[in-house]
Amino acid sequence: MEVKQFSSIYENGVTTYCPGCEHGLLLKFIGMALDELGITEKAIMVGSVGCSTLAYKFLNVDYVQAPHGRAPAIMSAIKLLEKDKVVFSIQGDGDALSIGIAELIHAANRGIPITVFMYNNMVFGMTGGQMAPTTPEGMKTTTTPFGRDIKQMGPPLDVCKVLSAFPQISYLKRVVITPKPIYTKDRIMYSSKEAMDSYKAVLNALKTQLMGGFSFVEFIGTCNVNWKMTILDSKKYVHDVGVKVYPPGLCRDAFGVDKK
Amino acid sequence: MGAKAIAEAAVSSGLEAYFGYPITPSSEIMENISVLYGERKYPWFKVFLQSASEIESVNMLFGAGAAGYVSMTATSGPGLSLMAEGISYAYASEAPFLIIDVNRGGPGLGNVAPEQSDISFVLNSLGHGGVKPIVLTPHTVQESMEHVHKGFELAFTYRTPVILLTDALIVHMYDTVEWEPPYIVKPKVDWAARGRNYGQRHIINSIYLDPPELKANKERLLQKQKEIDKIAESECFMCDENLDVLYIAIGISARISKEAVLRLRENGVKAGLFRPITLSPLDKDNLLKYSSRAEKIVSVEMNEGQLAQEIMRITRRDVDVLPYLGGYIPDVEEVAEAWK
Ligand SMILES: Cc1ncc(C[n+]2csc(CCOP(=O)(O)OP(=O)(O)O)c2C)c(N)n1
Ligand code: SF4
Ligand SMILES: [Mg+2]
Repeated sequence: MEVKQFSSIYENGVTTYCPGCEHGLLLKFIGMALDELGITEKAIMVGSVGCSTLAYKFLNVDYVQAPHGRAPAIMSAIKLLEKDKVVFSIQGDGDALSIGIAELIHAANRGIPITVFMYNNMVFGMTGGQMAPTTPEGMKTTTTPFGRDIKQMGPPLDVCKVLSAFPQISYLKRVVITPKPIYTKDRIMYSSKEAMDSYKAVLNALKTQLMGGFSFVEFIGTCNVNWKMTILDSKKYVHDVGVKVYPPGLCRDAFGVDKK
Repeated sequence: MGAKAIAEAAVSSGLEAYFGYPITPSSEIMENISVLYGERKYPWFKVFLQSASEIESVNMLFGAGAAGYVSMTATSGPGLSLMAEGISYAYASEAPFLIIDVNRGGPGLGNVAPEQSDISFVLNSLGHGGVKPIVLTPHTVQESMEHVHKGFELAFTYRTPVILLTDALIVHMYDTVEWEPPYIVKPKVDWAARGRNYGQRHIINSIYLDPPELKANKERLLQKQKEIDKIAESECFMCDENLDVLYIAIGISARISKEAVLRLRENGVKAGLFRPITLSPLDKDNLLKYSSRAEKIVSVEMNEGQLAQEIMRITRRDVDVLPYLGGYIPDVEEVAEAWK
């Protein structure tokens, strides 16, 4: 079988993400999409702070490391000055929705043609599994040892609902990136639908940017290490609980890229 | 007006992007720049944007600097506090930009009258981790214009944030100036993150997870600081002989102190004024030279004695402080009296 090399992905690059984490999968999809669209040479990635920080070691594109939560501000400036380039970031849910929600909202409201890929694992992964604004009710984390109490902390923050309020966003979508476990008689297999959906969302978000629109995709993924689950249980959790809190769906597609 | 002069100087010097959040007493700079945006005379002025906060401003400056564009903002103390994080990142990853800090009364919300109370903040690590931006301190409107131009050049020559530290008085002052536009700075930016463009990758980064790597980067920055130290500049006004008193002041305090020096000279008192033009790096050689000739050193400043701290540290001598707090401006008579 011929192995295709993606120019945006370092040859033989091995990610250092925890086994079972889909952060690496997202990186691969982004790299593949950049190459498929032929925009690797003009891509600029702005790194966030969280587990996706290390992305710069695996994606072979220009890179600026932002402070925690501030990537959309940096992306906005670069894009306004370099209009023909493709500017994107991979933010965590804590980065984008806790410390950085102001920067995200204002970039989105201005409709600057940039792309945010947000990996929502419902916790602060990199810092050891503390609660995030996205943590589901009752989920135990290192800062909610008795489970998230929504009376005090409010319900999990739904970014697609928040961003739906902004008319200048052109592409807004939530997908599940975690493959669904399928139980057969003697073994467990994983569905490939999530990977296909996620790749399509990455591709269409970038296409939207090329057409002049702001795009945002939320990927529901796991953090088995900090959820203190086995890899299999974490994947089950996403499909049993995660999708109920965060139902996948297309919230905005101004240019109709998903239909094509 | 100072603000208008700064705006003219910035745009004619090659400003490509302005990002700002209004705050008194700096807003007139942003307003004056906004009217120059889109003028055919200045085709290089690509982006003018009112940000949603100073956090956004500084990160936009960081983005513009990382992409190799000449960018600036104007703010005041409360805004500068919010920018400290971004300045630390930009310093560490060597992204150039210019911030004009129009010092107002602090701490807290303070007031909007002129003070010089951000000196310690900008000198003693402007952000976490040990941050040393270049700091310029003009004392006239003319010099403010020159410092904007110089600020852009220094930012790109040394790839570092530059702070132009000034105060509400100079920025709101009317003065005659001489300026020859266009006066463009054209930095070479082959390091900038503008896309690989079939060549090498550009990485603007401040993360070094392994201690040896971070150590090496910090040492590299310290080595660069040795080069930056060579640009230290100062003025010594009437400092040619042994002095009864050497005044030390920056900005508007320096301008007023010059008057006091002239009055004392009329009365036969041998007075001089040492004025740092670059506050960081500070011109230590000349400071030591002139202070060693003086009987007495008096620091005139619109704060509790922040500049004096720095002067005492370098000269290892006692320095009298003539402090003006809360928005009061040095009085020529009082300054002259202080020599005794
Ligand atoms: C100003 C600041 N505050 C706190 C931190 C510590 N910190 C680093 S990553 C992180 C949370 C990351 O969570 P998320 O964005 O969800 O990313 P994940 O690791 O889960 O993918 C925090 C709080 C920091 N680096 N900077
Ligand atoms: S800590 Fe969680 S999010 Fe981070 S790499 Fe490990 S599993 Fe993935
Ligand atoms: Mg997270």
